[in-house]
Amino acid sequence: MYTDRLLLLFILGGYLLSPALIEWWSDGGTAWYRPYLIWLFLIFFSYWIGKSRDLDDV
Amino acid sequence: MTFELSQLFVIGIGYLLALFAIAWITDRGWLPASLVRHPGIYVLSLGVWASAWAIYGAIGFAFHHGYNFLSFYVGISGVFLLAPILLAPILRLSQTYQLSSLADLFAFRYRSAAAGGLVTVFMLLGVLPLLALQIQAVADSIHILTNEASRNSLAFWFCVTITAFAILFGARHTTPREKHEGLVVAIAAESLVKLMALAAVALFSVFSVFDGPQDLHRWLAEHPETLTMLYAPLADGTWHSLILAFFVSAVVMPHMYHMAFTENLNPRALLTASWGLPLLLLGMSLTVPFILWGALKSMPGTDPEYFALGVPLAAGSPTMALIVYIGGLSAASGVIIVSTLALAGMCLNHLALPLYKPGRNRDLYRWLLWTKRVLIAAIILGAYLFYFFLDNRNTLTELGMLAFVATLQFVPGLVGVLFWPAANRAGFLSGLVTGFTVWFFALLLPTITPVAGISLPMFGIDFQPNATNWHTAAFTAIILNGLVGGVVSMITSRSDAEQRAAETCAVDNLRRPYRWKLGAVSVEDFIKALTGPLGAATARREVEFALRDLGLEHAETRPYMLRRLRDQVENNLSGLLGPSVAHDIVDEVLPYKPLAEGHGAEDIHFIESRLEDYQYRLSGLAAELDNLRRFHRQTLHDLPLGVCSLGTDREILGWNAVMESLTGIRASDIIGSWLHNLPEPWRRLLTDFAASNAQHIHQKPLAIDGHTRWISLHKAAINLPSAQTQTQTGAQVIVIEDLTDMKTLEARLAHNERLASIGRLAAGVAHEIGNPVTGIACLAQDLASETESSAVRDYTRQILEQTRRIDRIVQSLVSFSHSGKQRAQGNDPVELAATVDEAIALIRLGRDGRDFDFTNDCDRTLRIAGDAQRLLQVFINLLNNARDASTPGDTIRVYTRPRDDAAATVCIEDSGSGIPAELLGKVFEPFVTTKDPGKGTGLGLSLVYSIIEDHQGHIAIESPAQADTQRGTRIVLTLPRWRGTDDGPAESHREQDA
Repeated sequence: MYTDRLLLLFILGGYLLSPALIEWWSDGGTAWYRPYLIWLFLIFFSYWIGKSRDLDDV
Repeated sequence: MTFELSQLFVIGIGYLLALFAIAWITDRGWLPASLVRHPGIYVLSLGVWASAWAIYGAIGFAFHHGYNFLSFYVGISGVFLLAPILLAPILRLSQTYQLSSLADLFAFRYRSAAAGGLVTVFMLLGVLPLLALQIQAVADSIHILTNEASRNSLAFWFCVTITAFAILFGARHTTPREKHEGLVVAIAAESLVKLMALAAVALFSVFSVFDGPQDLHRWLAEHPETLTMLYAPLADGTWHSLILAFFVSAVVMPHMYHMAFTENLNPRALLTASWGLPLLLLGMSLTVPFILWGALKSMPGTDPEYFALGVPLAAGSPTMALIVYIGGLSAASGVIIVSTLALAGMCLNHLALPLYKPGRNRDLYRWLLWTKRVLIAAIILGAYLFYFFLDNRNTLTELGMLAFVATLQFVPGLVGVLFWPAANRAGFLSGLVTGFTVWFFALLLPTITPVAGISLPMFGIDFQPNATNWHTAAFTAIILNGLVGGVVSMITSRSDAEQRAAETCAVDNLRRPYRWKLGAVSVEDFIKALTGPLGAATARREVEFALRDLGLEHAETRPYMLRRLRDQVENNLSGLLGPSVAHDIVDEVLPYKPLAEGHGAEDIHFIESRLEDYQYRLSGLAAELDNLRRFHRQTLHDLPLGVCSLGTDREILGWNAVMESLTGIRASDIIGSWLHNLPEPWRRLLTDFAASNAQHIHQKPLAIDGHTRWISLHKAAINLPSAQTQTQTGAQVIVIEDLTDMKTLEARLAHNERLASIGRLAAGVAHEIGNPVTGIACLAQDLASETESSAVRDYTRQILEQTRRIDRIVQSLVSFSHSGKQRAQGNDPVELAATVDEAIALIRLGRDGRDFDFTNDCDRTLRIAGDAQRLLQVFINLLNNARDASTPGDTIRVYTRPRDDAAATVCIEDSGSGIPAELLGKVFEPFVTTKDPGKGTGLGLSLVYSIIEDHQGHIAIESPAQADTQRGTRIVLTLPRWRGTDDGPAESHREQDA
């Protein structure tokens, strides 16, 4: 259960730090696809975490 | 370029019929189950999130608010990326307790019918704008394609059509418990259609409006303002608010809850959805900028919200416009059908059933089905009226935001369900009412009436909602909601039932169920009790369902299992009637009896079984504690003493391995039963002991299957440390020792001691009698030689004969008394068959020996370690006894049995009269005989017993030997085999001798 709380804290931290990320994305110019790259990275990250665990493990 | 209305109508109906065909063939089982339950289908079905707003409104939103449009997709993606933490607990709850909607979940958690009812009313109010959005999108798109003037009539006929399809999809059967597999697959197909439609129009934009990606890139470089309009709105600060709104409202939207939890066919698919749904939505959202840029270049005459239609229309592509129309229709119909089904279920369970319960003579399932159909029609009619009164004044985005902010108000309650067990009913209701009041006055009222906003000068409030400040109202509502809910929860108390439900729901708590005493004691009692509210047929059917779910038999009477049955019946009824009604019915007709001390004991066995299910989810300290628990439980289980633990009400809570072997009753069969359900003789023994004041009972004889076992019992009170202070709970642990083996050993020792004392007595008697008898014999011989009288000679002959008889007896006594002193003598290899031959030959020399048929079937190779002469005496005595018990002509057989390497088994079997059962236990005692007086001394078998014991052997008697005739005796001798070489004795015997 501690893992969940740490993860939730991490998410909150990510939410608070997101302005910096948005700033990078806003400076994209013609690289309009930057937000999609971040999103795609998160999807692969989630896939990588999830592929080795079972629903009972969570 | 316009279309005929009839064309669009036929295309629309054809598309919906095709979807229905998919659902129908799925329900008929024509599609393989592996496909229907494939995680991909689940992921696609969750694409219902992309409503008509995703097809039309998102592009308009991107036009006005730039990249903020991504928040609609990224918010819900965030929830699903965290599915294992945020969604898995809700899925478990909804599937375990058959909670088919958010109202069910709240009514279950807060144990309040009012909570369910209020959530339903607010959900209806909140979702009406979303449904109106779908109706408006479809009506507008048809209007754009046909230039048909009357949007309202288009909308009306769309509503009529979609009502029929909603009923066909979700209210066709009379089995509300089953999932709608057809609906899931049809919605998945709709998502594919939406994705393909968006992808098609995006590709159309890139390759038809522009001349490919290079041209698009060049055009973007030439028109930097088109990129600026995407980036610039990010700076206004609404991104975070939007992300949060879409993040949290994703789960509470009725159509998302319904597809994610209620219609989930494969719980593991949730893990796939954690990355699959974000990927699907990424694909959909990726099309938006291309469609927007295509529109900015081609400048269609449509409103920005309908650029997806405008781009192909401006480029003169009716086919592409039709594809977009089908995509929009697909999105709108999906949301309306699923939301309406979910809302109809909520209204049925939380508004209709609490107000009116069908009579017991009505078919409950049929009544539920028809009520649901009426509710579906009423909800869609309500959505149409809402759309009608808005009169197209609002954009799709405004309607969408109105709905999302409304559903946002359920989030504090959901936090209470999952993460804050202290939240209570009063807090939840007061917070919800506060949040919705703010939403109603600040957002809904200004939308549907001419009122511009809220103006309370005395508090300095003057709020007029618009596209840029709506989030101020949204967050004011949710913050007030949470604050009021939190404060009220802290200052008010909660009921026991609510506390238990809170523990059940909280993600970091295991449910700690209590063992209440149930009034019903059999399955028939359940059916009888439920017949009142449900009717006989429904009651029987529901109980049978629950029995099947738990894998129980109809004859089940164990209280532990009956409590599980009660829970299962309530869960199943919850799926049918909603948790509030189900809880009320079950509480009323299957009540728990109050216990004397007012509290039930914790259901240890159930907690253990739950911990078994949770073991892979425990980590850190919890996992260590679980390991410790397992160690202690295994210690108790493997303890070489019988352990039986009892609850206050004498329910059996523990039954270890020794108890299983001692009683022959398996733990799984008896745990959860009352003590008085045990079979005899254990029932009387344990109930009497548990009720008595005695702490110990020593060496109590107990007749089990005709044998006597000796049992010692000890008991101690269990003081549960889970209580605040250690208090007497009335629970007990009983420890049972089986002393039978020790008792048998004691009896044998006593027997040997008795034989030894008789031997000592016999030796003394022989010595004292021998001398005078010798004197009498001498005197008799003298008298015979001195007299001439034939009469006197005859008397003296008789005297001598009697003295010889006395002498034989005395010799037997002497021999018997000396037998125990010969242990160390004779440890040589003895040919068993040869010894038996010799014994038979000697018997045959006797007076009656030839009248019997002696057979020696002994193994000729078998050699015994012992004294040949003494073993010969054993066989002579046994064969003599066999001969005396048999009638002339009978066969007396000596044979060996196959045995292990260490010992040989020899049997002497006759077909004589046998030994009476009452004498069987005494025949080895001296002077006990079955022969007529004067024919036996009663020392023969005693002597045999002593010799066999001296040889470290064993003797047993089986009588009758022939079960069919009930005659005969079989003496079974077990003797050590000779294991040494002919040159020397066996090693073991050397040690013995030492």
